[in-house]
Amino acid sequence: MANTSGKAYALNVLSPIKQSGENDRGYVEQVRTSIQNLGLHEQSPFANIPQTYLARLFILDDVVYESLPGADRIFNFSEILSIFSDKQRRAALPHQEHLKSKYLVFVSNFHGELDDYLEGMWLQEQTFIKTVWQHCVAFDQVNDLISFKEYIYKCQLDTTLFFNGSTDDSLQEQLKGLYVKQELANFAMENQGKSAEQLQQAYQQFISRVQLENLDGPSWKPAQSSLAVEGEAI
Amino acid sequence: MTEELQLTDIQGNIVQAYGRANFIFARYFFLKINDGEKGREFLSCILPSITTAQLWKNISGNLQRPTVTTNIAMSYKGLEALELPLASLNGFPKEFVMGMQLRKDILGDDGVSDPANWDEIWRQDVHVWLSINGQSKETIEERYQLIASYVEQTQGGVEILFGNKGEAGQTDLPYQDASAIFENGKPTAKEHFGYRDGISDPVFQGQNDSSDRVLGRGKLMRDGSWKPLATGEFILGHPDEAMEYPKAPTPANLAKNGTFMVYRKLHENVGSFNKFIEEHGKDYPGGKELLAAKFSGRWRDNGAPVTKVASQEQKDEWDKIFYSEDTTDVQRKKMLTDFNYNDDLSGSKCPLSAHTRRTNPRGSLEFGQDGAFDTPGALTNRRRILRRGLPYGKVDDLTKDDGEHGIVFMALNASIERQFEFVQQQWVNYGNDFKEGNDKEVLLGNHQINPPSKVVHPVDPDSDDAPYFIGRIPRLVETRGGEYFFVPSMTALSMIADGIIDPT
Repeated sequence: MANTSGKAYALNVLSPIKQSGENDRGYVEQVRTSIQNLGLHEQSPFANIPQTYLARLFILDDVVYESLPGADRIFNFSEILSIFSDKQRRAALPHQEHLKSKYLVFVSNFHGELDDYLEGMWLQEQTFIKTVWQHCVAFDQVNDLISFKEYIYKCQLDTTLFFNGSTDDSLQEQLKGLYVKQELANFAMENQGKSAEQLQQAYQQFISRVQLENLDGPSWKPAQSSLAVEGEAI
Repeated sequence: MTEELQLTDIQGNIVQAYGRANFIFARYFFLKINDGEKGREFLSCILPSITTAQLWKNISGNLQRPTVTTNIAMSYKGLEALELPLASLNGFPKEFVMGMQLRKDILGDDGVSDPANWDEIWRQDVHVWLSINGQSKETIEERYQLIASYVEQTQGGVEILFGNKGEAGQTDLPYQDASAIFENGKPTAKEHFGYRDGISDPVFQGQNDSSDRVLGRGKLMRDGSWKPLATGEFILGHPDEAMEYPKAPTPANLAKNGTFMVYRKLHENVGSFNKFIEEHGKDYPGGKELLAAKFSGRWRDNGAPVTKVASQEQKDEWDKIFYSEDTTDVQRKKMLTDFNYNDDLSGSKCPLSAHTRRTNPRGSLEFGQDGAFDTPGALTNRRRILRRGLPYGKVDDLTKDDGEHGIVFMALNASIERQFEFVQQQWVNYGNDFKEGNDKEVLLGNHQINPPSKVVHPVDPDSDDAPYFIGRIPRLVETRGGEYFFVPSMTALSMIADGIIDPT
């Protein structure tokens, strides 16, 4: 299945949440509270998990019931019959289906191998992982990196249609690319029309300031939510 | 067979623009209805004065042009005040129900353009828009006094709202005057930045003599020909480009042959504009006038399209033909409107940030991917608007922004949300559809100090020239007021006046 697109990986994890609850609160509500309380943007735990392009956590309560008339194999006979009797119409409707559990869904698009990603995740954000997943079925067996990986693999659902919204370069390369693009536009606005000599001098200063080869900085930070005020170093 | 429009049922200035027939002066004023019954009586009273579209196409073939016109439209709150049945009111689209002020986030009316900073008249509920167009100020004043006397007769049931700003520093005028800008004693089609305005208004089915007018103004077909747009893009009760009836309230007679109007008073910061093109014009390859042309997509003096006329030398040649005695009016119109941007996908002639390209991209959103959509214009055809505005005020000092001058912008469309609002939000204040990220359109964009706006004027990818970057764009146009109005048909007006709108 298409879990990968080049070096980009699309991870889908569905972890069943335990039934019932404790202290008059259902586990599902407790999980909801814990993901609602996560920080946004720069404060998000995903900002610290290496190589995350985009990640989401949400709760899948149930499947949606679509009360469309049943489609017969050759001709939509049940629809015709439904004109004459409501009983016929109801009989032709699909059965309602429900999930056995409610699920915590974790979706992440990232750069690189799944193994490396999970390792980075465990090393950087163990507290976050334990808080969010604590009420999921069998998570109590997770106590180290190996058991965490095993747990995620068991809950993983293959991706069928993966559209990666960016390139498959590493996060640092993408952030640096965006930073340099923005800085280059500013450089052009400040220096256009100058003589070749002045321009060359300014360009050398620009290159030594933005440090093209240095992915660690200056650059945009992961999960950065606003542009730096002009002239302010990042 | 093609549908013939019932012109006697459609209000004037919709099918054909008054401005084209020398109605170069206008007065707009606004009413509040305090009593539903008296409001409806007022409608009955004014009904015989309302101008229809018939004026331009007399049955006997004679053109009997009145000296003055009158038209009317209502806001959602106005229709409520006129006591339309709830089931009819509930059928109006949500953006019309909300009104322009509550749509400020979508329209980008922030900072100086925030409704909190609008003219005083907009700090209250505005129910009815009235417009008088004329060939002289005297006939307008005469008609205004007549309508004011009808208002008087309602004994407070209807009132004219005060709070319009005037040129002499007034803040409490009962009307907003507008007029074409005069040069050497002659009226022009220009606005205060000096651009010739209103050239490529859409052409739709049901307008007369559309065969040569349709070039560049209808919808671009796969074979390169142009066809009139569907009537339902502009007039309710007729099929639109999706071959559906536009969303409209019931009963059908309330909506049919009516339309929605966007009224916006747009102040023009003439001083900032002139300073900006002077400063950049010094360095700009091709000079100040070419720069101004690339902001708009058309040269300022006569509207020559910059995508076809991309340098001063080409402009001189173009002008020779345009002004030649051997050139017919039909040929001149063709020179102004018959083009698309498909020979200029990089934007090296007409930048993708130019006003005319952003607001009407013609067939160019396929970006050269021939066959990407049903027709090259498929992404444009449902985003067109009819423009019916006029400039207001005078500019006394070309170096200053203050004073009362700008454009009373009026747009007509079947869906304010799908047409006007989409263009304003996605194409004017955002650039992603044009592969320009969040770069705004230069002239109308709601530019901010931080982060500052920029646009790039590209060059031919094969040339060695450098693209030109324009940063720190000042806000050149500010919103000073406005509302969404419903322009009913004559049938609907008389039904509203008689209180017989029945949605059941």
